[in-house]
Amino acid sequence: MGNFINKIMSKTVTRRNFIAASAAGTTALGLAGCGSNSLNLLNDAKIVDLEKEGEWIAAACWHNCGGRCVNKALVVDGVVVRQKTDDNHEDSPDYPQQRGCLRGRSQRQQVFGADRLKYPMKRKHWEPGGGNKELRGKDEWERISWDEALDYIANELKRVKNEYGNRSILHIGGWSSRITDISSTLGLFGGYCEYWNTNSFGSWAMAPKLYGFMQQGIWDQTVNDRFDLRNCDTIIMLSMNPAWSAMGSASWHYLQAKKAGAKFIGIDPFYNESFSLLEAEWIPVRPSTDVALLLAIAYVLITKDEPVLNPLIDWDFLHRCTVGFDAEHMPEGVDPNGNFKDYVLGTFDGFPKTPEWASEICGVSSLQIEKLALEFGKNRKVAFLCGMASARSKNSDNLPQLIMTIGAMTGHMGKSGHMTGSTMHATSGNGGPALVCAGSNGLPAIPNPVDDSINAGEVWNAVLEGKYNFTGSGDFTSEDQYKAGEIRDIDINVIYHSGGATLQTSDGMAKGIEAHRKVDLVVSHSQFLTTNSKYADIVLPVITEWEKFGGFDGGTLVHSSNREIIITYSQITEPLYEAKSDQWIAVELAKKLGLDPKKAFPFDEKQQYFNELASITVIDEDGKTYGPLVTISQDDIKELGVTGQPQNGKITYKEFKENGVYQVKRYQGDNYGYIAYEDFVKDPQQNPLDTESGKLEIYSRNLADTINAMGFSKIEPIPTYIKVIDGYEDTYKDWATKEKGEFPYQLINPHYLRRSHSVFDNVKWLQEAWANPVFLNPKDAKENGIAKGDTVLITSQYGKILRNASLTELLRPGVIALPHGSWADVDEKTGIDHGGADNILSGQTPTGQGVSGFNTVIVRIEKYNGARLISDVEKPSKIVL
Amino acid sequence: MGALGFYFDMQACIGCRTCQIACKDKNNLPIGVLFREIKKFETGVFPKSNSYNISYSCNHCEEAKCVKGCPTGAMHYGADGTVQHDPDLCIGCQYCIMNCPYSVPQLLPERNIIGKCDSCIDLRNAGQNPACVDACLMRCLHFGDLDELRKEYGEELVNALPILPSPDITKPSLLISPKTCALESSFTELEV
Ligand code: SF4
Ligand code: SF4
Repeated sequence: MGNFINKIMSKTVTRRNFIAASAAGTTALGLAGCGSNSLNLLNDAKIVDLEKEGEWIAAACWHNCGGRCVNKALVVDGVVVRQKTDDNHEDSPDYPQQRGCLRGRSQRQQVFGADRLKYPMKRKHWEPGGGNKELRGKDEWERISWDEALDYIANELKRVKNEYGNRSILHIGGWSSRITDISSTLGLFGGYCEYWNTNSFGSWAMAPKLYGFMQQGIWDQTVNDRFDLRNCDTIIMLSMNPAWSAMGSASWHYLQAKKAGAKFIGIDPFYNESFSLLEAEWIPVRPSTDVALLLAIAYVLITKDEPVLNPLIDWDFLHRCTVGFDAEHMPEGVDPNGNFKDYVLGTFDGFPKTPEWASEICGVSSLQIEKLALEFGKNRKVAFLCGMASARSKNSDNLPQLIMTIGAMTGHMGKSGHMTGSTMHATSGNGGPALVCAGSNGLPAIPNPVDDSINAGEVWNAVLEGKYNFTGSGDFTSEDQYKAGEIRDIDINVIYHSGGATLQTSDGMAKGIEAHRKVDLVVSHSQFLTTNSKYADIVLPVITEWEKFGGFDGGTLVHSSNREIIITYSQITEPLYEAKSDQWIAVELAKKLGLDPKKAFPFDEKQQYFNELASITVIDEDGKTYGPLVTISQDDIKELGVTGQPQNGKITYKEFKENGVYQVKRYQGDNYGYIAYEDFVKDPQQNPLDTESGKLEIYSRNLADTINAMGFSKIEPIPTYIKVIDGYEDTYKDWATKEKGEFPYQLINPHYLRRSHSVFDNVKWLQEAWANPVFLNPKDAKENGIAKGDTVLITSQYGKILRNASLTELLRPGVIALPHGSWADVDEKTGIDHGGADNILSGQTPTGQGVSGFNTVIVRIEKYNGARLISDVEKPSKIVL
Repeated sequence: MGALGFYFDMQACIGCRTCQIACKDKNNLPIGVLFREIKKFETGVFPKSNSYNISYSCNHCEEAKCVKGCPTGAMHYGADGTVQHDPDLCIGCQYCIMNCPYSVPQLLPERNIIGKCDSCIDLRNAGQNPACVDACLMRCLHFGDLDELRKEYGEELVNALPILPSPDITKPSLLISPKTCALESSFTELEV
């Protein structure tokens, strides 16, 4: 790249190079002078000629997007001129190409964006101890050298450690504090306070394991594989929109089920793109009211079931496979009156959970609830599939348990064409164990000697107020994270963001900004001026995956791929500007801290790559045994310059690298199918679940004990209706008289294709494609004097944002849909966020298992009096230095 | 042999705009210029509302008004019958923009000439598909001989919809497999 800049500068470029330059170089290198004019020259160049001169290289697409797709970059003279996706084999529904989405196809716009951070930077008024802390987010940036940057950080870490101890360093690495390279350095340094979050999983993060509703782990919960979807009569989708949140092949798989004759029903406040695709019948439920709806469904099933004339309930299934449904099936030693059936019928509390009762809360008519309940009937082949959006609600810890209960009552588990459970993201619509398993880089795990760990729902309050509820440590996947709560004092003096977009994507961003303005030092690694970096003191520019030697994505990793593939990618470009890898920073920082980096990183990144490559395993045709994936020769090892042994696998290293993927070839009748709970349902005695009773627990003592001991909020052992904080009922000042309150609307945050959570939001091509309005029903808009395109001021008890209105009848009245993940752009004068960031509106209120309540927010809306917002694509890129 | 053109399976389209981006990438288009674009429409009133998407680009019309109105011959029929544009002949008069009922030709402001979808003729000549076709996540776009496409995807395909100008004007080489709601006469465009 440097070479290329020189060529441009010395004007010695040939016409072809110049064209290539225009492709990536201009936006890439900020060569504004020859930029936009030359862009269009490429229209006269023939891509096929460039194909002859350049090379297609398998490129990374590594985000938290819900896909893992093949991405290839056409590199001519070190410049990327075009991208493409999977063309390794013929495409078919059974063996589909792993086609990438619009974001992946914009990857070169991101990597070479004019807004890439070029140098280490320091906030002008920062000095050891913090300097003028209030200026965070509005100060000027100064370019500093790597040496200076690392010295500042190391000295401040040492000072803070001496004065306050290691636990005053809050290290945030994205979804887990333990997974970044800085985790290792700080581990060697004596440790750090962790941050933890249930993330996208909401109430599916931990609780399902306690009552037997997890089979393969959090990502692949209890859904059969994609071929079996085609055996369903009815597919009931609750709170899911794969078309916007699970790119890759998920929507394609659901479409195959539709083509095979399945009828779809969609339960969600939004008649979303997936429902529209699948021509689903719509149940327009209010946000965070699924529990009321499902309790009423249970009521209808119980009261309308007639074993001979109208069999709805699978009594045999309930008897063999569950505990807690009725008085006869309660665990030993508990009051039989506490069973689910009597709760639903109101036998003891005098309050039956009828459709009429539920209707008032969830907004679905009692008639429609009754009709929906019958769709679950045991004699049909039903898939009850749930996204996790409605479990990203406060007080929703028993929602997955209730979903399981409905599935168990109707016997839709353990058989072909029957399934119940959550399915989302990369694994949407395709359950089962990974057929290809990722390898390991072989680096030692460096433990964190400090055990403090603060939940996302109270982390900013903890920084500001010095107290938090300690419930163990690890991350949302660790058992140790969900222990009995203990109020602890904490004094955070450093916030170190070594990954993720936590300030942007955690609850209560307004409080988060305040918290960032309190501490002595904020460090952030990033590629752009993200929200984390904007409010930091020292920003370290890191390289993208395109600038690394290579790597892998998918195969049982978190943010894994679908079960059938593993992706590999190679270097596309030299590191841009002064950006360095996270590991380089971790090593150099360790040195400055007087530590031995070899303890954490005993060998280099290339050897790590090789270790990972050599330890990937793949399933055999028998569908049972796993063996090495990649054939590696002595020559490969020599060429790579690493230590290792040759091995035999299913694909040569060369071919794997060239294809950018290994995909298990699926076909009808293969041995890779999967039916969740098959063995258990056939013989629960011989194949017990990992629960106290060995069965599915509709009554779960363990659930109630665990959550109640954590101390965020209370729950019963059976799924009951719990009034949701900031839920529908809270939109009323007086629920009995139905007098509306100050915040009369419910707001949800649909995933949005302009970005992956917050990643890609700065890419102009994507901003142009997806304008990011706020969606309102025309009735609500009219009542508030808002017309199509007007700028709307949305106010919650925590903050204010602006977005332009898009009016749609596809959204239920009373509900506002604000796309998730837009980068905050707070006007310092008014405090109003012009970026439309969802978490400016959310607060710091952890409930249950530490769930983030992104989809339980209540707001008011009004037409904005100030100037109309210009579209995001018209705003200048945030170019610093 | 029939004319060459695009087939669009509206019933499978999720409006993701991957085709739009693949097109931008292939043609390296600046902001403001789209050779393929997606629009979303909705019909009905809550809770009986529905929606559909259309992904559209140049229809390579058999009676292309852009070709007819071009004073320099820049807009012309290529050897395979698709509508092509020669930048060297283009004087930027924009008659084609005014004449095309589908608003397909776009002004490239920096060069003051026109650009539009050329059906990736370079890729096709090299035996490949147009970029959008190979990009689509839902496999809804295909390009080829319309007679063949009709044979493969059914005789019910249309080139007229309430949202589109009458096909009588230009005889577009376009085949759409419509959603039922896209046949309703009343619709609203929805910005997403
Ligand atoms: S779904 Fe994810 S991995 Fe696939 S192309 Fe899109 S951003 Fe890349
Ligand atoms: S890529 Fe396919 S599914 Fe997506 S908008 Fe284009 S035509 Fe529709």
